[in-house]
Amino acid sequence: MYGGAPSGGIGISGGGSGGGRTWPSTTSVSSSGKRIQKEMTELSMEAPPDCAAGPKGDNLYHWVATLFGPPGTPYEGGIFFLDITFPSDYPFKPPKVVFKTRIYHCNVDPAGNVSLDILTENWSPALTISKVLLALRSMFTNPETYKPVVPGIAHLYLGDKAKHDEIATQWTLRFAR
Amino acid sequence: MVNEDSIKSTHNPKGPEAANNGYKVEGLFSPKFRSVAAMAGWDEEALLMASLVVEDTPDRLPKQKKRSDLLHFKTPPTNSRRKRRAQKRSPASITATVLDLDEDDTPKSEKKEAESTSTEKLDKKGTEASEEQGCSVSPSNKKIESKSIEKADKKEAEASEEPECPVSSSSSAFPSIDRLREELSCAICLEICFEPSTTPCGHSFCKKCLRSAADKCGKKCPKCRQLISNGRSCTVNTVLWNTIQLLFPKEVETRKAAAALNSREAKQQSPARAAATHSNITSSRTTRILQLNSPESGPNSQEGRNSRAMRRQSARTSGMPSRNRDISSRRELPSQDEDAALAIRLQREEFMESFRTRSSADEQYRSSLALARANLRAMASRAINIRVRGGRGS
Repeated sequence: MYGGAPSGGIGISGGGSGGGRTWPSTTSVSSSGKRIQKEMTELSMEAPPDCAAGPKGDNLYHWVATLFGPPGTPYEGGIFFLDITFPSDYPFKPPKVVFKTRIYHCNVDPAGNVSLDILTENWSPALTISKVLLALRSMFTNPETYKPVVPGIAHLYLGDKAKHDEIATQWTLRFAR
Repeated sequence: MVNEDSIKSTHNPKGPEAANNGYKVEGLFSPKFRSVAAMAGWDEEALLMASLVVEDTPDRLPKQKKRSDLLHFKTPPTNSRRKRRAQKRSPASITATVLDLDEDDTPKSEKKEAESTSTEKLDKKGTEASEEQGCSVSPSNKKIESKSIEKADKKEAEASEEPECPVSSSSSAFPSIDRLREELSCAICLEICFEPSTTPCGHSFCKKCLRSAADKCGKKCPKCRQLISNGRSCTVNTVLWNTIQLLFPKEVETRKAAAALNSREAKQQSPARAAATHSNITSSRTTRILQLNSPESGPNSQEGRNSRAMRRQSARTSGMPSRNRDISSRRELPSQDEDAALAIRLQREEFMESFRTRSSADEQYRSSLALARANLRAMASRAINIRVRGGRGS
């Protein structure tokens, strides 16, 4: 025991070069888990209108969200399912949001990936899932046509909105019911 | 304000003019002042009094500043005795100032008392004060008297308002604890801010949260995306932190405990990271000792030095074979410091061992074995010493 102290001081310097095993960073996992749990309880208390979200199963880091197509849009009446995957360093990295339901929207690519600025470069750790859901809802009403993932849909939206809306309504009826 | 008015009114006959003309060598008063004094019907005595005042007050003041200074020297109640005396000596002109000073003092005490006592008492006091002033004031100063009464009334009104404010604020306007919790929680971890740090744009987060946000998401405020100049050297907003500690002692305690546990775990699990986080050596040493004590960290759970330390411990109990292994493993060591430390420990152990064996009863039995061991250790330590010395020499 007595000899432990000097070896401890040296071990710090020597340990870095050793690096045999990688240790899971339990601290960051637990902090992100805590935060996700908090968001879950908050969402269950007061969810944003026409939105719902929660863990898929036991795993806190995989959520399912549902969005109801807001009235007055071609997506009205549709129910859109989304997968939300939280990274392990969650509040500091954005969650990954994927549409599981097909949708005719210039900001959602055929694979369902959403191009939303707050989910990529404009992510902030102060944002929560409920805010993300709100942003997605507003994306239904106001597509971002300047940086679309599907330029064709954006062009149609800008050029012939009636046509765009018609197709979108068709898609909603076909896939989101 | 009252003071200023009264002062101006009393000083106007002589003050500004004296200031304008200055003090010539031939006398204290300019001819103009004399003529004005004559017109006012001042006799020699009054002039003398005035001269005393003039002598006393404006001498050391620059002439340009005189007016403001005159105003000035009334306001603080801690005027020098000398000035007060001088003012008392000239009753004709300066009674008002004396009054002013008194008045200045009385409302202060009134205010102090008003805070502690009822408004009734203050009412009495106020009237007393005004009566006092009425007595001391020369009857010609009605203006001031009325003003002082006004002032007393004002004070009364203020005082009567004062006790109401805290009552109302404490009873109705105090926000609910949930609201406070929401307001004082960190937007990043969504918990009560732990050691809050405030950004230049005025948003507060846990210090840790803000730091990691700055590290991982760029130096922008998580709330408003304004640039944070130096997110790394963020400081704790002490006022906010103390407030939080007062309001949510339980939460703070649990978080403190969790933080302590977390840091310990982190250090235990990854010494490299512990070193990277610039933890002070003493704390890391204690964690080391903890590690050595903890049963779960067997010989295979730790790497590098640590496992060796563990082996040392087991070697102490199991004896020869492991010791040999130890020595052989030591050969792999790259660092000379480690070698030196090992040598020291080996020697120490050797000494202790020999002491133990000597004191033990069955020395005879184990003498040969002990001798062989001692020889081996001596050789080893010598070899290490040579190596160390060689290393230092080169």
